[in-house]
Amino acid sequence: MPMVSSAAKPQAAAGGGELIDGSTFPQGTPSHLEPALNAELDSYQVVRAMYDGLTDIDTITDPAAPATVPHQAESYETNEDATVWTFQIREGLTFADGEPIVPSTYVRSWERAASLGGDYSYLFDFIEGGAEFRAGEGDSLTGVVADDEAMTLTVTLSAPYANFDAVAGFQVFRPVPEAAVASAENYENELMVGSGAYTMEAPRNDQEIVLVKNDAWGGDFSGNTWETRPDRIVFLISADVDTSFNSMEAGETMSASVPAGRAQDARDNWGSSLDVIQLASYHFIFNDRDERVGGEENVLLRQAISQAIDREAINEAIFNGMRVLSTGITPPGIPGFQENICDYCGYDPAAAEAAFGEWTAAGNAQDGPLPIQFNDGGVHNGVVDIIVENLAAVGIEAVPDPQPSEGYFSDFLGGGGAVFARVGWIADYPTYDNFTYDIFGTASLDLNNYGYSNPAFDDLVAEAKSTTDPEIRNGLFNEAEELLLNTDVMAVPINWYVGDLAWDESKVEGFYQDVLGLVHFEAITVVG
Amino acid sequence: MFAFIVRRLLQLIPTVFLAISFLFLLFYVLPSDPASIIAGGNNRTPDPLVVEQVRERYGLNDPVLQQFLHYWGRVLHWDLGTSFNNGQSVNALLAEKAPRSIRLAIWATIIEVIVGISVGLISAVKRYSLIDKLTTVATTAAAAIPAFVLGYLLQYTFAVTPEKRNWPDWLQLKTSRLGPDSWFLFFIPTSDQWRYLILPSITLASVSTALAARMMRGSMLEVLKADFMRTAKSKGLGERAVIFRHGLRNALIPVITLIGIDFGTVVGAAVLTETVFSWPGIGSQIVDSVFDRDLPVILGLSLVVVIAYVTVNLIVDMSYAWFDPRIRLGERAGG
Repeated sequence: MPMVSSAAKPQAAAGGGELIDGSTFPQGTPSHLEPALNAELDSYQVVRAMYDGLTDIDTITDPAAPATVPHQAESYETNEDATVWTFQIREGLTFADGEPIVPSTYVRSWERAASLGGDYSYLFDFIEGGAEFRAGEGDSLTGVVADDEAMTLTVTLSAPYANFDAVAGFQVFRPVPEAAVASAENYENELMVGSGAYTMEAPRNDQEIVLVKNDAWGGDFSGNTWETRPDRIVFLISADVDTSFNSMEAGETMSASVPAGRAQDARDNWGSSLDVIQLASYHFIFNDRDERVGGEENVLLRQAISQAIDREAINEAIFNGMRVLSTGITPPGIPGFQENICDYCGYDPAAAEAAFGEWTAAGNAQDGPLPIQFNDGGVHNGVVDIIVENLAAVGIEAVPDPQPSEGYFSDFLGGGGAVFARVGWIADYPTYDNFTYDIFGTASLDLNNYGYSNPAFDDLVAEAKSTTDPEIRNGLFNEAEELLLNTDVMAVPINWYVGDLAWDESKVEGFYQDVLGLVHFEAITVVG
Repeated sequence: MFAFIVRRLLQLIPTVFLAISFLFLLFYVLPSDPASIIAGGNNRTPDPLVVEQVRERYGLNDPVLQQFLHYWGRVLHWDLGTSFNNGQSVNALLAEKAPRSIRLAIWATIIEVIVGISVGLISAVKRYSLIDKLTTVATTAAAAIPAFVLGYLLQYTFAVTPEKRNWPDWLQLKTSRLGPDSWFLFFIPTSDQWRYLILPSITLASVSTALAARMMRGSMLEVLKADFMRTAKSKGLGERAVIFRHGLRNALIPVITLIGIDFGTVVGAAVLTETVFSWPGIGSQIVDSVFDRDLPVILGLSLVVVIAYVTVNLIVDMSYAWFDPRIRLGERAGG
């Protein structure tokens, strides 16, 4: 059973003080820092500390089962087919400088985010009129209606979506002050004013980002204002992960990212999140359009490949035992997660050989070695080397086919070059559709360049997305994932990511990394 | 001499133009669509509309020649543009990062000059002695150890170990970063700044110091065999006077050339050292910008590196006349 770290510990009498964080930016200066433009998990830590949203993800009450809860919206409801969502905004909310947060604040912020064209601006397509607005065909988001007197925000979606509440709390939907509109994309280079537990002390630079307590904060989703939270957080920027860990060991920081090869040191000597499964999947996909691996005629070959792979050996040799072996694409922690959903994810070379034998007996043969694609550099080379060996052991010829890292996703995979290729996916928000529709749906973001397009899969996912009953919805998503993994065998899960942070327990309490990879800075108490 | 200097400064113009133009055109030869990369294509498949918006915003739809002319038009007004990545002014980025790289380069060069020349000189004068053998081993090792390995070793020895063993504060150096921004005469650290500067300076200087020492040794050995050295000795001058007054200046010329090239190189190419020590200078920024396809930053910072390189080499050339009075700069050969 996967292990999940415990929630924040009860706070000590000490409090306030300064937290020197070395864990958030261990590999260079962040590109973006504001909700409308950011697409990196690192910067999301700071965005989350500074900006609240309509909803939040509760990873404290039951860390193994994160749930979407109201936050700046004190309540919300949806109609029967999940096409219209009405959010009741809390009274009295303000930014740190006193500017009030009302429903029209959201409209203004969303229109700004949609027009700035950040990496996540496509999420506004979920809203009626969003796609048109982004394409410059309208001057407002027609699907959003703000009533500042009744304090309601009504959102009409372009298609039924029962998980919209989870998406509505995502960073790109978090409101920003009016000054951000005039500053446009330059706002993140100025003094950003937050609405969350923290606000900026000074404009960022390439050495550090400094936040101070926001005394106007109304508290988290449960109203807790975490009074012993640090007064000041200094996010030090490092250019190298090993150096960031050395800095913590040298007493210069209170937390660090754990480099490969130092997991045992982190476990033995520091507090760490290495046992927290993240909502992130490391897997390989088949290109259904490639005649070497795609189509119904090659199902047995795909089964053989999946069962031939020794995932445990990969985990030990390449990831120092740090990852958790996958039993499906969707990781634990996603509502609806079903353990052992994948029939072909166990290491079974005998079954693999039998399936491959059956495939060749049917008159099929390999037309040259199977190329296995991955972005060159890092750990993937080692993973693919082991897979090539595993496949050879059951009679399947394969060769590593490294691709340049730059543009691997946009150009190589996006251009339809995959045959059997490595991909990774980190949850944007904890919903089942983020691991099904967004990766394997025919109309998903990647424009289905992996070639997988099964109308039955699309129908199941569409029905699930529009189903408001959680039990029925999750059952439909499970069916879709079973279809993908067991009937069509179009993906080969390898492992799920785990947390990667360490901290000095003699200096901080309550430090933890949740399943989304986020640190709850408001829950930390500086004791040393 | 004056005419020589003016001529060399004027040569700066075509040098800079050709170097930067080459980089500009190279940008479009690199694999992958820059607009896709800027829109996040390194980590996910970007939305096509977002990619199109990036093209519009940064003029990547315009013909390359138009972009090229537009770029040089701005540069002539010293407007180096804004970063594709985060909208920061490249001029501001340069003003921030160039001094850091230059300071680190100055200190690495000081170490190279003092240690490299001294070690090479001693090695040559005490040829085949135990000192010579030891310095040979040391310089070979210093040249062979990769910068990042040396950097981590120094961090662990002088920053992590003191903390773990509770050594006194004054013995503890810092693993990384710039520290307080407090300097005297631009490059002399005040307050605690020196704790941050020592380790990256040593790391950056290690290979070049070793090479300078080897070159100094070889050059000095040649000079020691020269007729004028025998003449000086036969005139009754002491060994110290012969070596320092007559030998050293002649032996220094190739070494000064090497040091000059090294200085220009470390200003813009100290990537490994800047990365290991999180010293946010020009080198690491250029590399990050290449990965991000951030053209204005690549060109703006490269411009400064080229100018620094050419200027330093001019100074080195001018120094030849001081080291060897036989050299007259700007005169034709045989004149």
